[in-house]
Amino acid sequence: MTAHTHSHTHLPAASDPAPVTAARIGIGGPVGSGKTALIERLIPVLQARGIDFAVVTNDLVTKEDAERLRRSGLIDPARVEAVEAGACPHTVIREDPTLNIAAGDDLEARFPGLQLIVFESGGDNLASTFSLDLVDWWIFVIDVAGGDDIPRKRGPGVLRCDLLVVNKTDLAPHVGVDLDGMLAEARRARGEKPVIATNARTGAGVEAVADAIARAVLFAP
Amino acid sequence: MLADLIALQQADAAFPSGSFAFSNGVEGLAAADPGFGEAALARSVAAALAFRWAGTDRVALILAHRADGDAGRLAAIDAAVEAASMAEPMRTGSRRNGASLLAAHARLGTPGAADLRRVVREGGLLGHLPTVQGALWRALGLPERSAALVSGYQFASGLTSAAVRLGAVGAIEAQRVLSGALPLIAEHLERPVPEPEDGAIVLTGLTPFIEIAAMRQAQAELRLFAN
Repeated sequence: MTAHTHSHTHLPAASDPAPVTAARIGIGGPVGSGKTALIERLIPVLQARGIDFAVVTNDLVTKEDAERLRRSGLIDPARVEAVEAGACPHTVIREDPTLNIAAGDDLEARFPGLQLIVFESGGDNLASTFSLDLVDWWIFVIDVAGGDDIPRKRGPGVLRCDLLVVNKTDLAPHVGVDLDGMLAEARRARGEKPVIATNARTGAGVEAVADAIARAVLFAP
Repeated sequence: MLADLIALQQADAAFPSGSFAFSNGVEGLAAADPGFGEAALARSVAAALAFRWAGTDRVALILAHRADGDAGRLAAIDAAVEAASMAEPMRTGSRRNGASLLAAHARLGTPGAADLRRVVREGGLLGHLPTVQGALWRALGLPERSAALVSGYQFASGLTSAAVRLGAVGAIEAQRVLSGALPLIAEHLERPVPEPEDGAIVLTGLTPFIEIAAMRQAQAELRLFAN
């Protein structure tokens, strides 16, 4: 293959990186805890509040989560980006978040005025944490059916996230979980950091999650 | 000494570049052959080094390094890489990987990185990985030889580490394959870089088996890597 040079214009001198404008938040948590379901519930709530947002998903083995959101009818499919995790869901949000950073930057370039970008991690384990190079603030989602001993195990995800969401509260009586005890344990483990109980199937608790996002990164009162 | 340390930093898998998400055909090869293991990986790495890296990525990277920030020359090199990458997953992968590496360097404040990124965004460059590496590593002060060395090492280690994460080989087996690839990299580094007087960019490469495997894998329902 051959090609020829066209000009000899040198690149301009170094300058500061372009400023990041949209707030970036992460949503992580174990497989099946309800991250995508929570986002599906959050979308209409954020839209009703007039928030201009987009989503980047990190599916582990498919683009299923991205396709689920694109086909949901809830959001312009162009506002959903999928980033492959190369078999390492924690790497793409922590050790090497550059693919996600680039995807977020692309969304900002395509949608000027974007206020919020939500990065959904692929399902991982309790040690999953987001790099603050990628996000300003992040949520960790666990679910009641995963067992009421999850908060007691004090994984880094549970302890270090800015907001812990305990999802699938409706399942507590069916899986032998004392929900109040589980929430109390989670609050003990996290000290001052917030915990919100949700049922993404019915939407219970989702407004409170949206309030927390708006207060944390969108300067809502 | 400092240039050597910078080379180590750039070659380190811990340096965020997005490369971990690209198997560059290994996932497709493993999917097509249930017996894909150490021997097959070694053959694949040797073939990819000889018939892709040596004549395409290596040459493009060295020419980009020699371009010394000349935007027109970098665009021409980039266009040649695009034309030499017939398989869509490899072509897209190279551009995405280049974009990720640029994102990291722009945030680190590497001289010229933010501007290079702006040129890519404005469509003045495609931003293929070897073009971006050549430009950035020159800006960081890496000598041409070191830049090519890092490129070759990363090319091979990217293939072997993808094979580990796919479960096709063990970590020790992967290092054995990588050890076997090192003399090949050294040998290819000695090959001249074609640089005709008319400024033509001559890239040569053909890895049909790997590229077909990557194209097949791109259609798969289940996959772990971007290509």
